[in-house]
Amino acid sequence: MPYALLAPGLLWLIIFFVAPMITTLSTSLQEGNVDDGFVFTGNVAIYWDALHAYWPQLVRSLVYAGTATVLSLLLGYPLAYYIASRRGRAKNVLLVLVIAPFFTSFLIRTMAWQSILASDGGLLVKVLGWLHLTWLFDAFGNVLQFLHLSPNGEILYSPWAVIWGLTYNFLPFMILPLYTSLDRLDGRLLEAARDLYATPRDTFRFVTWPMSLPGVVSGTLLTFIPAAGDYINSRLLGNTQTVMIGQVIDSQFLRVLDYPLASALSFVLLVLILALVTIYVRKAGTEELV
Amino acid sequence: MATSDDKNLAFRATLARGLVSRRSLMAGAGGLGLAALTGCGIQGRNPGGGTAATTPVAKAAEDRSATEKIINWSNWPEYIDVDDKTQRHPSLDTFTKRYGIKVNYTEDYNDNDEFYAKVRPLLAANKDTGRDTWCSTDWMVARLIRQGYVQKLTLANIPNHANIEDSLVTVEFDPGRLYSMPWQSGFAGIAYNPKATGGKKVTTVDQLLTDPALKGKVTLLTEMRDTVGLVMLAMGKDITDFTDADFMAAIDEIKKAKDAGQIKGFTGNEYGKPLSSGDTAACFAWTGDVVQLQADNPSLGYSLPPTGCTLWSDNFVIPALAQHKANAEKLINYYYEPEVMAKVVDYVNYISPVRGTKAILERIDPDVANNPLIVPNAKTLSMAHVFRGLTSAEETKYSQAFSELTAG
Amino acid sequence: MATGGMTEDLRLVGISKQFETFTAVHPMDLEVPGGSFFALLGPSGCGKTTTLRMVAGLEEPTGGRILIGEKDITSTKAYQRNVNTVFQSYALFPHMTILDNVAFGLKRRGVKGANAAAQEALDLVQLSQVAGKKPAQLSGGMQQRVALARAIVNRPDVLLLDEPLGALDLKLRRQMQIELKRIQSEVGLTFIHVTHDQEEAMTMADSIAVMNGGRIEQLADPATLYERPASTFVANFLGQSNLLQARINGFGADGVALAQTHGQDVLVAGDNVPDGIQDVWIGVRPEKLRLGEAGRNRLDGVVTDASFTGVATQYLIRMPWGFEVMLVQQNDGSARAQVGENVVVSWDPGHEFVLDQHQAGDAGVGLGDD
Repeated sequence: MPYALLAPGLLWLIIFFVAPMITTLSTSLQEGNVDDGFVFTGNVAIYWDALHAYWPQLVRSLVYAGTATVLSLLLGYPLAYYIASRRGRAKNVLLVLVIAPFFTSFLIRTMAWQSILASDGGLLVKVLGWLHLTWLFDAFGNVLQFLHLSPNGEILYSPWAVIWGLTYNFLPFMILPLYTSLDRLDGRLLEAARDLYATPRDTFRFVTWPMSLPGVVSGTLLTFIPAAGDYINSRLLGNTQTVMIGQVIDSQFLRVLDYPLASALSFVLLVLILALVTIYVRKAGTEELV
Repeated sequence: MATSDDKNLAFRATLARGLVSRRSLMAGAGGLGLAALTGCGIQGRNPGGGTAATTPVAKAAEDRSATEKIINWSNWPEYIDVDDKTQRHPSLDTFTKRYGIKVNYTEDYNDNDEFYAKVRPLLAANKDTGRDTWCSTDWMVARLIRQGYVQKLTLANIPNHANIEDSLVTVEFDPGRLYSMPWQSGFAGIAYNPKATGGKKVTTVDQLLTDPALKGKVTLLTEMRDTVGLVMLAMGKDITDFTDADFMAAIDEIKKAKDAGQIKGFTGNEYGKPLSSGDTAACFAWTGDVVQLQADNPSLGYSLPPTGCTLWSDNFVIPALAQHKANAEKLINYYYEPEVMAKVVDYVNYISPVRGTKAILERIDPDVANNPLIVPNAKTLSMAHVFRGLTSAEETKYSQAFSELTAG
Repeated sequence: MATGGMTEDLRLVGISKQFETFTAVHPMDLEVPGGSFFALLGPSGCGKTTTLRMVAGLEEPTGGRILIGEKDITSTKAYQRNVNTVFQSYALFPHMTILDNVAFGLKRRGVKGANAAAQEALDLVQLSQVAGKKPAQLSGGMQQRVALARAIVNRPDVLLLDEPLGALDLKLRRQMQIELKRIQSEVGLTFIHVTHDQEEAMTMADSIAVMNGGRIEQLADPATLYERPASTFVANFLGQSNLLQARINGFGADGVALAQTHGQDVLVAGDNVPDGIQDVWIGVRPEKLRLGEAGRNRLDGVVTDASFTGVATQYLIRMPWGFEVMLVQQNDGSARAQVGENVVVSWDPGHEFVLDQHQAGDAGVGLGDD
């Protein structure tokens, strides 16, 4: 019975994925309040209401998470490449440095950026001050404002700060899978490419990049999915215009105690992410990759 | 503590020693437990649609106080006296010495909503929460009473009941204080950093919401009753007796300010750090926090708006099925001795609910005794108001509207 | 594939490679005529692969110059050199089809009709039917041919083959040796074949450079290398040699020299004796020795071992001073000797080679075996 071997995995999936999903779905279709209890009424209109009221936060979450994912990829790829190219001790030290942020709580790491980015007495502005480069700080703020990434030229409490926080917090999830696939990359293939008239750019484009695609796909998924549901970064680093869907769900569930609405929003987020991931994985064609 | 939104215990445990000598300088963000949207078919307290008028009664457990000399007390982080050297709580040690009752003091009450989410399933299922008492904010007490989750106090066990400040006896959500006894009180008002306001004082809610000098550097509290309460007061409304229209008008007022870019965000008590650094110029803030912030940054200003401020208390309650109710009542009685409460207040810098504390503070710590934010005079107290209790329907409606504002 | 017209010579001038801890290649000169099949032969670690990689541009020489024709390519990058390599590991791109692999070089250079040319190259190696497959779906021998097609399709000035047959089994290797030779003559490119297999080198190459310890020991055509090895290393590395310790005592009238080995007089061709040297090794290949007194030089011995291989019988014969010589007798009908039999071993002067006795007699022994 080879299928028996699947049992633990299936059980896990049923307990931790299917069951909560069904619970969420069924809660979303209940009506009532916390005093009198909630009764299942099959109120599908809640989905319309939820989408109608909170589509901007939903879209914003996907846009922020998407941008943070792209930034993570741009930052993480060269870093993963560099680490993979190191040998022995240096490599291990660098890998430990990548995961070192996990030794502190997510919350503290995010709050640290408040201290770094603060315009008054923040670490960044102080360091720039010592270097007599304070104008850089202001210039950056102005650029952000010009790009509509900051409402008033402030660096902290802006959409940019939220995206940056997401990027920072989820970067290790990008780097590690990238590192794994780049580390596996056979150096002799790169030599073969050079030998076959491929410039360094061509070598990257036609050999390194396609061969690292499995890492890129898992890295982007591992970054995008949690980032889309995150609410700490936008709460700590954002302003009233950067609210993400996670914050809405948190507030509906904990504060408003509107469990059906919170569940409906969670379910919508889940379905949206599943749909995006499916399309993405199809496009990336991971089954074609070695 | 106050109605803070977010305080993360793990975070605080890390930072508390050394960095923050007393409660609350920088709070964690959080509301961290979106603890999985569990709960199939969520049971209400009175399923079948009983009206809110027939308040259910909390079940009592067999009291083991006589045989088990312990109390399980959940409280907000850093909300009690601490010996800076030993990190012990002297008032608790004295209690144990005197009565032979051990107090399991746990700082796991970080947020009213989060704590409620944690204990509600147990209470709804008629299970013991493992706690004999905790300190909930007024409106949460109202909800707990309404849902029959807290027991009536046996006042015979609390002779010091008589020491409660007159102003705190007649509260709408618990007339006569049959279910709850205040632990600490405080005001919500306006704090500002003159460095960031250009030396300007910020004294009124109107100024906070409209002064262009503060644009984009204002934070309000995620605590609905404080934020909307202060704004309603500024609009000349009575927060002990208002209508839907009054509430919604205040929401509109805040929305206007938010849309104009005046407001940077809504915070729990993590407003302290940006306020100190000047990233926030002015904000709604709680007294105890500000007293602490001023210790490090004396230039910070604090105003109680002339239109009135909100007054809140965190109150001892005894949950349904508590195993050591009599012991817990002994503890409440103990803290209602002015001598004991004075020591706590001297440390935490909130407002004492116990009559006679002032005289003792004048003796042991005149600085604290003379701080009107800790020992308010009659005039100050007359400006402070308590947000009226809400029906379940109102609570849902208002928090929905407020949530759309803060998370929108 | 049409031949590429003029194929130019490759010249290495004083080329050397120094790694951090050792010298892989000592300064050396080498000239490979255009259009030839050239082999770099030597045991592992002799510097042959490093030399090849320097030509490919994958390794930067510490000193010296590399020229193709009159063009100095020393400082050009690998991708700028019209030099291609067939790697020992094949190094096919696993994510590309066979056709894409073969067309890779042409496309990088922007050559028009790359796919058609690639298809043609696959025809040449008889693999056109697998153009759409991925490398992992092919056998080792097929991958090897794809690697070859991927290199020759570019018609490089020099094609480098780095132990290209090393991973194949013996039978396939023989087949591929013939195939490689055929293709080389068909396309007319300069092939430089790096190998540690002396038989492979001799079968295929027009000329061979034998390398040892980062230096070229001898560069010659296969016959010269075999018949007139320039050192005991070459003598032992290429085939079997019987090296007799001897002393030249004088020169006779008929162009022969008189020598003495272990008290026995032997004659050697005077031309074979290096100038000014008295103490020598006299080397005689096993197949040059004969049983019986047919040759002018005769030595007595006892047969200690005889093994029949079909085309020949191989004997080990112990000399009176204890040294064992190897003798190969063709299966031409002559009488065979038995183990323990006393025999006379003979050969004619001129069938030997003579080397300076300052070299170790066992240099290169055993290294030529697989």
